[in-house]
Amino acid sequence: MKYAPPFQRTNGFRPVLLTFAVLMILPLGLTDIYSRHILILIFLYAVLASNWDISLGLSGVFNFAHLAYFAIGLYTYALLSKVLHIDPWFALAFTPIPAIIFGLLLAAPILRLDGIYVILVTIAAVQLLQQITVSQSTYTGGTGGMILLPRLEIAGYRFSDDNRLGYYYLSLTLLAASTMFLYKLERSSIGRAMKAMRDNKYYAISRGVSEARTRAMTMGISAIFPALAGGFQGAYLRVASPDVFGLGFLTVILSILLLGGVATVWGPLIAAFVVVGFSQLASDYGAWRNIFLAIMILGVIVIYPGGLFAALQESWRQANRKKTQVIASWSRHARVADRLRLMGAPDKLVVTRHGPISVCDTQVGERVILFIHGNSSCKEIFHHQFQALRTHYRLVAFDLPGHGVSPNGRPDKDYRIEAYATIAADIIERLQLGKPFLFGWSLGGYVALEYAASGHPLCGLAISGTSPIATYPEDMSRAYQPTTHMELASTPIHSPHEKADYAWHTTRQSRTEALFAWRAVWRTDGEARRQAFAFLPSVKWHRQMTFLRTTQNPFAMINGPEDPFINHKYCARLMRLCRNDIVHLIDSAGHAPFLEKPETFNETIRPLLNMSFESQTNPSNNRGH
Amino acid sequence: MSFETLLFVLASGILLGGLYALMATGLAVVWTTLGVFNFAHGSFVALGAYIAWQVSQLAPTGPGFVIGTCVAVTTMFGFGMMAHFILIKPFERNPSMVLLAVIATLAAATLIENSLLLIWGPRDKLIAPPITEHVSILSVHINAFELMALGVSALTLLALALFLRRARLGRSMRAVAQNREAAELMGLNVPLLFALAFGLSAAAAALAGSFIGAIRFINPSFGVDPLMKALVVVILGGVARFSSPIYAAFLVGITEAFASFFLGLYWTPAVLFSMMIAVLLIKPEGLFGYQSKTL
Repeated sequence: MKYAPPFQRTNGFRPVLLTFAVLMILPLGLTDIYSRHILILIFLYAVLASNWDISLGLSGVFNFAHLAYFAIGLYTYALLSKVLHIDPWFALAFTPIPAIIFGLLLAAPILRLDGIYVILVTIAAVQLLQQITVSQSTYTGGTGGMILLPRLEIAGYRFSDDNRLGYYYLSLTLLAASTMFLYKLERSSIGRAMKAMRDNKYYAISRGVSEARTRAMTMGISAIFPALAGGFQGAYLRVASPDVFGLGFLTVILSILLLGGVATVWGPLIAAFVVVGFSQLASDYGAWRNIFLAIMILGVIVIYPGGLFAALQESWRQANRKKTQVIASWSRHARVADRLRLMGAPDKLVVTRHGPISVCDTQVGERVILFIHGNSSCKEIFHHQFQALRTHYRLVAFDLPGHGVSPNGRPDKDYRIEAYATIAADIIERLQLGKPFLFGWSLGGYVALEYAASGHPLCGLAISGTSPIATYPEDMSRAYQPTTHMELASTPIHSPHEKADYAWHTTRQSRTEALFAWRAVWRTDGEARRQAFAFLPSVKWHRQMTFLRTTQNPFAMINGPEDPFINHKYCARLMRLCRNDIVHLIDSAGHAPFLEKPETFNETIRPLLNMSFESQTNPSNNRGH
Repeated sequence: MSFETLLFVLASGILLGGLYALMATGLAVVWTTLGVFNFAHGSFVALGAYIAWQVSQLAPTGPGFVIGTCVAVTTMFGFGMMAHFILIKPFERNPSMVLLAVIATLAAATLIENSLLLIWGPRDKLIAPPITEHVSILSVHINAFELMALGVSALTLLALALFLRRARLGRSMRAVAQNREAAELMGLNVPLLFALAFGLSAAAAALAGSFIGAIRFINPSFGVDPLMKALVVVILGGVARFSSPIYAAFLVGITEAFASFFLGLYWTPAVLFSMMIAVLLIKPEGLFGYQSKTL
């Protein structure tokens, strides 16, 4: 299931709104014709480049006739308004129609072709179009082009008046409409069909996506806005020349697309500012400017193929890492009292093989329970258990690296299930916990299983909100419900709305009820979320399953029937295969039963704890790791 | 229309076809060996022509042309080998290599074209041809230099064909083109052979460039036209065998000569591109092609 929230709930909403607002009021400050002219060109080129992404990036159709749409729009406007004397507004509105027809006609020959042949045919088609345009010199002006095209005006107000204010806002509207269109397209069923066709053609076809229809759609849809931009340029510059068919123009637009980043909506918009701004500033240097653009294209594709947008996202991720690190070290000192009140015991940093880890330990008792929390959570999530069970047991909980008040870890080494299991083993060794009982929640459940499966000492094991799997990724779709939250669990940077959504669905506690749990989502290092999922394929899942089937230690799954993520049927079936077939369901609980229904949960787990610790004192029942 | 006119048009078509064959073979050698389409081929032609012009200025009337051509061909051979390592090598294992190579070679074309503009300026130039006489064959007057160009082109292509078929190095190149992995396992130095293919291609482009430079005026952006012609030829003929683009080159040359005689200069490219699109629709592997590719 694909996660596609409405735009106002995503991270991009605020920056885009801000940029748009700035562009709306910019003409108040920039009153001279030249800077407005540059901005209008930036908007036009941004429309051209970002729409090219529909074919080149989204669909993987190497359509090098994209600029022909622009040329067709330009000449359609010119011929209709100048030769046929049709109203310029109507001519502008009509421009997409011939361009779409051209796109659909071109879709027919390239349907049977792949890769380089598509490029060759589309380039040849542009050349053909150029030759036809030039040969009809009585209408199109031949190589000289057409000049003094009619301009746009409403009720006598010329759009070029007030230092081209009308054209500025018209081009901005065009850009906004085009961007909105692209954003919607990428998330529509058509957009997904295009992506599927690009990524795995034969699989997409076998799932009922029509190749012919998708390609025709790609060619037709990507024609609309470039044609409008062409018509606009005709009305704005009042010139139509066959230069727009040339390879030079193609190189400029291509450099915008590549510098911005292929297969992103926003990248080309950013790059348009850079490239067009640079082109205009360096327009006096002619050949040097083109040489620089060419070197930039080569540099981008060789050194940094992701382009500007990828660089922007990367720096945003780095900033987020820094921010979460600051939050963690600040609250480690500042919120000591809050945590002490919740847990009833202080926490301290314990050095492990994966860096210092914040551990909370009640220190009294022979029987030890080690708690491991889940993705984007913290050790305080077990505070009910710490208050209720401390009289009989020694309770230990720790914050995974990048979570709670533990410092951030190294993304490539510390944020993986194996590393988390090593941390648990290190803590048990340093604090001399002997053979503890392990309780793991969600991601922590896998950590507990990994800890047990790799042969570390323990006397019993319980997991909550975790579906053990034997093979990745095949079992994931059986073990879990298809929800959009899986996407959130692996997304490095959440929008505020997504954070709240995640906090609510994992704990079913409101912000006031479980402030610490909500804060934990805000604090968690985004890389921890991303890497935990990225490293899933390398976990030895089968070893965990073998452990479950053969272990002599007591084991239980304690789930909430209203858990929105795990597949309860799968868990029940799985447990029948295991030696200790215990699945406890805590009535009317969700993903975190120990937090939502602490009394019932504690009563449920008590017999299991007794069984585990008794088997430990009686070695005949113990397989003994 | 008289028989003599017909012969004249045919002759000019054949002369044109010789040059196209030289350019298209260069393009085809790279395509079959590396699997990429070199959009900088046209600018290689232009760069070769300018180098030849520059060197021929040392002795504009005497042996200038011959020396210039030799220097241009050797320089461009080295330049082509270098270009392979800059333009193609970085993306060799990339899944979207085809697109990246197109973009890289397009950028290189821009780079070369604008460098030509910076170095030699925008004014048209002409290399002084070594012979200016006309000869008469079957009562058709032909420029002797163009006839010489045709002859040299044919000899060059023959030499290239012999090199690919008989010489050890040439056979290695064919092996790499036919099955890269197997050739690599046999111990062939694949990057070097790829670079060699690029170098040969650029050298052929330079030879074609210096002939064109002596027949008509050259300017920094004149490479686009040869590139488009070579593209049409390669698509039309296919790259199944070494000879496929050569047949297609003469077909294109003769078609172009007749089209511009009967339909006029403006419609000729339209006819050629329509032909090319029709061939791609009906027989994408080319008129003289089979499904497999080799050299």
